[in-house]
Amino acid sequence: MKLHIIVCIKAVILTPPKGKLVREADSLALNPFDRPALEVALRMKEERGGTVTALSMGPEASASALYEAMAMGVDRMVLLCDPALAGSDTLATSTALAALIKKLYPFDLVLFGTRTADSDTGQVGPQTVVLLDLPMVTWVHSIDWADSGLHVKRRADGFHEEFELSLPAALTVHPRSVKPRDIGLSGIELAFEQGEIEKRTLADLDISPDQVGWAGSPTRVPTWTRVTRERKCEFISGTTEEQVEALVGRLVESGLIG
Amino acid sequence: MNTLLSEKHRAVRRSVRAFCERELLPITKEIDQEARFPWEVVEKMAGLGFFGIQVPKDLGGASMDSLSYAVVIEEVSRVCAALGLCISVHNSVAVYPLLAFGSEEQKHRWVPLLARGEKIGAFCLTEPNAGSDAAGIEATAIRDGDHYVVNANKVFVTNGGIADVCLVFVRTDPNKGPKGISVIVAERGTPGFVVGDLEDQCGMRANPVSSIRLYDCRLPVENLLGKEGMGLRIGLSGLDTGRIGIASQAVGIAQGALEEAVRYAKQRRQFGVPIAKHQAVQMMIADMATQVDAARLMAYRAALLRDQGKPFSQAGAMAKLFASEVSSKVTDLAIQIHGGYGYSKSYPVERYYRDARVTRIYEGTSEIHRIVIARGVLSE
Repeated sequence: MKLHIIVCIKAVILTPPKGKLVREADSLALNPFDRPALEVALRMKEERGGTVTALSMGPEASASALYEAMAMGVDRMVLLCDPALAGSDTLATSTALAALIKKLYPFDLVLFGTRTADSDTGQVGPQTVVLLDLPMVTWVHSIDWADSGLHVKRRADGFHEEFELSLPAALTVHPRSVKPRDIGLSGIELAFEQGEIEKRTLADLDISPDQVGWAGSPTRVPTWTRVTRERKCEFISGTTEEQVEALVGRLVESGLIG
Repeated sequence: MNTLLSEKHRAVRRSVRAFCERELLPITKEIDQEARFPWEVVEKMAGLGFFGIQVPKDLGGASMDSLSYAVVIEEVSRVCAALGLCISVHNSVAVYPLLAFGSEEQKHRWVPLLARGEKIGAFCLTEPNAGSDAAGIEATAIRDGDHYVVNANKVFVTNGGIADVCLVFVRTDPNKGPKGISVIVAERGTPGFVVGDLEDQCGMRANPVSSIRLYDCRLPVENLLGKEGMGLRIGLSGLDTGRIGIASQAVGIAQGALEEAVRYAKQRRQFGVPIAKHQAVQMMIADMATQVDAARLMAYRAALLRDQGKPFSQAGAMAKLFASEVSSKVTDLAIQIHGGYGYSKSYPVERYYRDARVTRIYEGTSEIHRIVIARGVLSE
């Protein structure tokens, strides 16, 4: 059986912006939490054969994340890009992604990272899968083949859960489940010189514009501010014994030890 | 700076930088102090294609352009100049001449192994009595049937201690002066091939620079690169390419030192404020950043000209001259900003300072470069 695995990835903002948030090539990179999902997909493909499709939604500049995925070894890049998608919250994003994934049928597995390094909600994977009506396990850290499909382990607080899923299915991949491969120079050359991004717009999907973008987003981010951490440096004087005594006292007082 | 780079080149920068910061940065100080070549990281670099950056895909390389090459060398050197040097020399003056002047048989024999990093290349031109005066070499290759008998004493060979495939400049005809010089490939392990002691160098200490001596070393005539008498042409052609690498390396060193200086200036407090608030320090930072940017643009211009198939020799020489001098100035100012701490091995700027110094010497001194550049300008 040749697999078709879809990996949903995002081009994230690298550093918090000082003013207006503008997504452009210089400020975007492939979400580090998506790399393990790509690695899992590529290993499954190496083992069983098939195709890995990387899928992203965002402005044109999001292409950078898709090229990085192709440099890692994915076969196909699809970018959903439409001005009407601007302002989408996680629900609207999931609605659009699910509509696009349906168009990529047939597939066996849809993979996500557990969260993104910029907005950090962890909602898009599970929400998309609910809309696709697929079996799903989140925070998966090991995957084996089983007669019925997949046997996966999920890492939760202090214990492991094991699941068996029939295919097609969806997983979010634990960031420490695998070490993602480094991107080699020939991969970059191949991706940028021969790779072609398949672009899709809302017109290609079976959803209406009012389901996405501002119109389709029940949540708003009215304001945001940068977190600034004030650091104070204090010198403790006295003999070494006195300094240690004073330092330990301070740490106990602040609840860090004791 | 990034506006000059395409998305592909930015991806090269991002991926090489991420690799170097994760794999090289933690050991850079140790390998400098112990003068150790870190095979454990070099093997990973080889797996990522750093040893065959511009080698065509069918010969095992990454098939990239000169600008990508410049970015890779810059990023590796930003973290560890000694390894930037290793791959710069390997790619430019060892692999490139084989690609440009080698027969099909020679290319298929050596290039794939070099491109995959399974063998390391070196360029053996300098001798105790011949440096800037390259035509003054004394090494000899005397034809004996289908072999050359080679005697050579080559010094300051970058990668010398680990090199498997050496391009050795020899005199095949003692009566023809510069036109009697040829290049022969000598492989480590050939009887008479002797690696000398490693140089105990001021900087670039993780690169095993050594002498290589050939004593009555019998090398088959198939190892002659190009034809007899083409040696200087091959050498100069390799050095033209190499200059882009050394310029990029100098840019990387300067960039690394600049970043250290900026970080320190924001953190170190004197007179109640971070020293970055003092104009004297700001002046230094401004000069450093401006010079690094200019040097980088010159290196990229030389690489872009090469990629466009245009003459790049003069641009490359200017880039190498300027960038190497900038790296000395910038690393010096980085130490000045660090004050006494900059003179201590506790901070990395002293290493950048030592590493930068040699970029004004190897692959053509600043003085030779000025002569070459002036000759070019005056002949226009």
